[in-house]
Amino acid sequence: MEARRAVKTALMLGVIVFFVVMMARAIIGSYTLTPQSTAEDLKGLPLWKIPIVYLLDYAGHGWLCLGFAFTIAGVFSEFLPQSFMLRFMSSGKKISYLVATVLAPVFCVCSCTMVPIFTGLLYAGAGIGPALTFLLVAPANNILADIITIQVLGWRIAVADMIAAGIAAVAIGYFVSKTPWGREFESRFTRNPGNPAQATAVELVKQPLDERLWNALKFGGYLAKRILPAFFIGLVAVSYVQAFFPEELVKAYLTGPFGVIVAALLGGPLYTPTLIEVALGKALVNLGMAPGATVAWLMGQPYDIPNSMSTYRIVGWKIVITYGVLSFITAVLSGLIYGIFVGTF
Amino acid sequence: MKLKVEVIGVNPPCPRCEQTEENAKKAAEKLRKEGFDIEVAKLDISSRDTVSRFGVIMSPAIAVNGVVKMMGKVPDPGVIERMLRKEA
Repeated sequence: MEARRAVKTALMLGVIVFFVVMMARAIIGSYTLTPQSTAEDLKGLPLWKIPIVYLLDYAGHGWLCLGFAFTIAGVFSEFLPQSFMLRFMSSGKKISYLVATVLAPVFCVCSCTMVPIFTGLLYAGAGIGPALTFLLVAPANNILADIITIQVLGWRIAVADMIAAGIAAVAIGYFVSKTPWGREFESRFTRNPGNPAQATAVELVKQPLDERLWNALKFGGYLAKRILPAFFIGLVAVSYVQAFFPEELVKAYLTGPFGVIVAALLGGPLYTPTLIEVALGKALVNLGMAPGATVAWLMGQPYDIPNSMSTYRIVGWKIVITYGVLSFITAVLSGLIYGIFVGTF
Repeated sequence: MKLKVEVIGVNPPCPRCEQTEENAKKAAEKLRKEGFDIEVAKLDISSRDTVSRFGVIMSPAIAVNGVVKMMGKVPDPGVIERMLRKEA
C-alpha cells in the first residue's frame, strides 16, 4: 500500500517536473511555441486543408505550452492557500482592491467558480468595487491565460496587458461603487446580523501528498476538457483569418491611434474566449496589427457579449453598460499609452 | 452516529459540483450499509445563508456537521468516506 502510494506520487511529480523542465528548456533555447504558418503557406492549400495544417502546426508547437499551462493551473489551484486569500480579499475595503488584482491571476477559474466568489464577496461585505474588480481581473489575468499570452504574443505585450487590465479593473470597480446604481446593488447584499461562528466554520482536512497531486492533475485535466474544444474550433477560424484576411485592411485599420480604437471596438463585442483571442491576436499581428492596437485588442475581453450577458444576469444592465463603456475607454487608453511607450503605433 | 453532509455548489450545478455531490452520495451509501446515519444535502453557495455561515468559499465544497472540510476540489468517494469515518 505504502509502496503503491510512493510510486503514484513519483509518477505524478514526474509529469509536473517534465512540463516545467521542458518549458524551461524551450524558453532558454528560445524554441518557438507558436504556429509558424504564414498567409503564403496557407493560401495555396485547398479550403478544407487550411485548418488541418494550421492545427497541426499549432499542436506541434503549442502542446508543450498548453500542457504546461494546464498542469500549473491545477497545481496552483491545489497548493496555494486560496481560502486564506479569499478571506483576505473580503476583509477591508481599500486593501481588497489591491488583493483582488494581485491575487486574481492565481485563481484559475471557470465561470462557475467566479460567480460564487463574486456574490460571496458581496455578502461578506467586501463591497461592489472589489467584487467587480475580481470579476473583471480573474478571467483576463488568470495563470492559464497569462502563460499562453506570454508564449504566443511575447512577454512585453503580455505584461502590458496584465498591468493595464489590473489597473482598469480597479478603476472600473471603484467607479461603479460610486454610482447610485452600484450602491443600490450593493445594498441588496447585506450580511446576516450576528455571526460569530464564521471563523470556525471552516476547518479544512489535510490530504496526503499523493491525493493532493492527483487533485491538481485532475483539475488541470478538467480545465483542458472544458477549454480545448472551443479553443480548437477557434483556431480553425483563426486559420482562415490568417489565410484570407486582407493584409491591407489590417495595415490600414489596425495601426496608429485610430487602429487602437478599432482594435478596442473589435476585441470586445466580437466574442472570443481569452485563449482564442490570443491566437486571433497573433494572426492579426502576423498580418500587421500594431503593438498598441494589440494591447487594446486583448483588453476587450471583459465586455464581450457572452461575458456581459452572464454578468448582466447577476448585476443588471446598468452596471454592465457602465463597465462596458469604461472597459472600452481603458482599453483605448492602455493601447495608446503602450503605443507611445514602445514608440510605434 | 449521525452525520450531516452538505455539498455546497452553484445553482444550477456545474459539472464539478455535480460530480462532488455524486461522490458524496456514493460514500454515504457505503457507510449507511455499515450502520452510519448520514444525511446528504445540497446548498447553494451564492445564498446569503451559506455565505454568512461559512464566509467566502470556493465551489464545490463539502461541510460535515456544519464545518467546511474541503473546498475547490472534487474528492473521490474513497476520500470522502475516509473523512466521514474520521468525523463519526
